[in-house]
Amino acid sequence: MGGDGVQGAACELHGGYSGDNRGGGDRFKGLLARLKGRSSLKNLEPRLFTEEGLASHGDAVEFYGPEGTGKSEMLYHLVVSCILPELAGGLQVEVLFIDTDYHFDMLRLVTILERRLPQGTEDTVKGCLSRLYLVQCGGSTQLLLLLHSLEALVCSHPALCLLIVDSISAFYWMDRLSGGESINQQEASLCRCIEHLEKLLSEYHLVLVATTQALMHVPGSGVYKSDGVSAAWLPLLSTAAQYKPYLCKSWQRLVKHRLVFSKCNNNARDNKLDFTIVSLHPKSSVVSKCAFTVTDGGIQFL
Amino acid sequence: FQLPARVHVPGLSSALGRSPNTLVAVRRVLLAQYSPFPSNGADVYEEVLGSTAILSTGNKNLDKLLDSGLYTGELTEFVGAPGSGKTQVCLSLAVNISCELKQKVVYVDSTGGLSASRLLELIQSQVDSAEQQTDALQRIEVVRVFDVYGMLDVLQDLRTSFTQQVGERERGVKMYFPLGVGVWPIVLGSQVKGERMAIMMQLARALKTMARELGVAVVVTNGVVQDMGGGVKPALGRSWSYVPNARVLLQREAEMGSLQETKRSATVLKSSRQVTELHITGSGTLENQTATDALDNT
Repeated sequence: MGGDGVQGAACELHGGYSGDNRGGGDRFKGLLARLKGRSSLKNLEPRLFTEEGLASHGDAVEFYGPEGTGKSEMLYHLVVSCILPELAGGLQVEVLFIDTDYHFDMLRLVTILERRLPQGTEDTVKGCLSRLYLVQCGGSTQLLLLLHSLEALVCSHPALCLLIVDSISAFYWMDRLSGGESINQQEASLCRCIEHLEKLLSEYHLVLVATTQALMHVPGSGVYKSDGVSAAWLPLLSTAAQYKPYLCKSWQRLVKHRLVFSKCNNNARDNKLDFTIVSLHPKSSVVSKCAFTVTDGGIQFL
Repeated sequence: FQLPARVHVPGLSSALGRSPNTLVAVRRVLLAQYSPFPSNGADVYEEVLGSTAILSTGNKNLDKLLDSGLYTGELTEFVGAPGSGKTQVCLSLAVNISCELKQKVVYVDSTGGLSASRLLELIQSQVDSAEQQTDALQRIEVVRVFDVYGMLDVLQDLRTSFTQQVGERERGVKMYFPLGVGVWPIVLGSQVKGERMAIMMQLARALKTMARELGVAVVVTNGVVQDMGGGVKPALGRSWSYVPNARVLLQREAEMGSLQETKRSATVLKSSRQVTELHITGSGTLENQTATDALDNT
């Protein structure tokens, strides 16, 4: 049987039965073997994903931070690194960008892309952009439907490696209202989305990067009690203390790396703003830090 | 609305006596119909290039701040304390788009701050003949709303009427609807916090989808509240802060001498394009039209 046949059959099985595909197990294993060939994102921005990098497929990364702290800008940076051809220092893989906030700025992305492609013609830019898929989404029900229909796209695009959701908390307040009194019901649609995301990630070996907005006020943020912690660590810890989980538990469980974004106010030179990222590992609470600034041509690490 | 995606196929097929294949096909049709479809980046870029227009605000300094003007498909927010000139900015935007660019404007007035005579005054300063003045006035449609539900109704109506006019648009008449919306007072209406937030986000979503889908520039105004450090920050809280694509803070400079010389300044707080100028520089005084006109009124 040809490769396309296998793929088609597996898609159908998978799309139809949501997991009850024992009958087609053999064919499905064949497909899995092929999908293991998805390129690795290990080299995606080592300055951001320090220690082990985005090593394993199926990881979920959360970008958390208030408005204007460079989350979207960092997403553009990652997108550009992915869609650039290998010759220009990119990874040459495909990216799916789910824009739930109607925030995606194509012109900005192209500006960054052009800076990284110094001799790029209009055609090379378009060639890069053709590796990007963009979809907008107006509610959590729509998001769920989208995730269900994605399997077909993921199956037919073996080069698709990175899934971006900007932002996953966009429907928080609307879900709260539509769910009535019980918290479980309020969270139900997001939970289902996340369950499905989890399945997509583990079965198709994708990497997920999602932003969450700092919707909740954290009392006393910025003031961190110093119980024998060395002074150098204080700013890191106070940034980390700004993180307040509010999305449903299944999301907290899914996230492997959490990066907390914040603005640095202490820098008046060059009229430039510095941003810092503190990365937290939900299990071990290891903290590492990196700083960047935003220029016309995108993110520059300091 | 029961999600078709949640149905357990084998169970349902035995319950209904239909073959699983039929149900799978039904599911696929439903998904194709209701789920959003990802489009290729290259196509989106073509579309953005073809549909994005930049509307000049009629004020050189403000244009420079906003990276040459209001972008269609985006939400631009003007924030400021009472008397900082928000309404005046909205009025002069409306007049400029109507007189200079000859485009239609829908002005949604939620604060009752719009005065027709003031509008005429501004138009008279731009065009001379009475005929042109009438034309310019006719291009500005004013809608009064009193609460957030009224606002949502208006947006719904605009969307329907706009889609009906698509035929006209194809003949080359492109229309933009910048809206002057005072969001702050209307949202205060509802009582429970969760409900208030949900309605606010619904409004935000309605504004943004309208901007995107109809290709119009949307302008909203918002008040300010004290922040912990003693400065000011835009009102409506954290959830709203993510909504606008660009945000400009309007401030009254410290009073110097007579009222006639009061200056107002505008600072970009947020922009996805002017990254280097974010927050610190980019402060320019709106000398000509906006600032002086604002004074005439008081």
